[in-house]
Amino acid sequence: MRPVPVLLLTSLVALAANPPRSDPKAVGSPSAPITIEVFSDFQCPHCKTLDEQTLPQLIKNYAATGKVYLIHREFPLPGHQYSRLAAAYATAAARVGKYSDVADRLFLHQAEWSVSGKVDETACRGLTAAEAQTVRSLVNDKTIAAEIDRDVELGRSIGLQQTPTMLIKHGSTSYPWPGAVNYELLRSYLDGLLAQ
Amino acid sequence: MARWLRLFLRLVLGAIFVYAAFVKLRDPWQVFANSVANYDLLPMWAVKLVARALPWVEMLVGLLLISGRFLRVSSIAASALLLGFFAIMVRTYASGIQIECGCFGPGDIISPRSLARDGSLLLASLGLVGMAFWQRR
Repeated sequence: MRPVPVLLLTSLVALAANPPRSDPKAVGSPSAPITIEVFSDFQCPHCKTLDEQTLPQLIKNYAATGKVYLIHREFPLPGHQYSRLAAAYATAAARVGKYSDVADRLFLHQAEWSVSGKVDETACRGLTAAEAQTVRSLVNDKTIAAEIDRDVELGRSIGLQQTPTMLIKHGSTSYPWPGAVNYELLRSYLDGLLAQ
Repeated sequence: MARWLRLFLRLVLGAIFVYAAFVKLRDPWQVFANSVANYDLLPMWAVKLVARALPWVEMLVGLLLISGRFLRVSSIAASALLLGFFAIMVRTYASGIQIECGCFGPGDIISPRSLARDGSLLLASLGLVGMAFWQRR
């Protein structure tokens, strides 16, 4: 056998054994016809509204049914004192498969830790001791900071000006939709895209 | 002098109305509907109706102002629209709710600056109404 086909065969075997893992901050299938990237700041009130009122229905009706691939992106705003730290905890929690749990808890108790600065207590409250230890060891890791920086840079590259912003991608088009988007209107827009 | 001022106000207000309509019609209608819904003043059926109809009304008013046809009607319509927008924006800002005004597409949060802008447009529009009636006497 020549080297190139052997390499190709080896790669295919490896791919079959280890299919590409989806983003730990994502929900749904990467092959969904629509991809939505949600840029959030954990201290932003409208991001809390979006997370609590719109995203659960979006996940249930579109991500879980293979129509939408939802990716969470961090966009901590400079004016919010603890946003970056909260984003670090959530990103670290993604490494132990608990991004949604920690993100939801941070939004739920936003009014408390935004004032007290007790991000650690809020983020680690529902985790096991082992998970909490891992998350705490990762919070100041350079790779976590780099991951957040990549999200922020991505947001800036699309001209993102406010949080939350949903970047909705369908085919070759993408549309940034800022604000706490009402679920009924989002559904109407997504159904229109899916019908195209 | 009054004639030139009237022409200036007609063209500026008309262009602003046409631009406001254009940015709303350029985006999916649901985006403007979301801005209207955020004011929490109307039921969803009315939100959808306003989101679909208002940009066309703004376009019509803007084009009439620019053309100078039916100036009394178009200047009163512009003033009525601006008065409505301004009153709702003041009420929302005073109640401490931070939302987009929806005036010129997404990303325009209600602030003292946007209130000053819309207040100035309202004053200019009312001035144009006065001139439209004064001219015909």
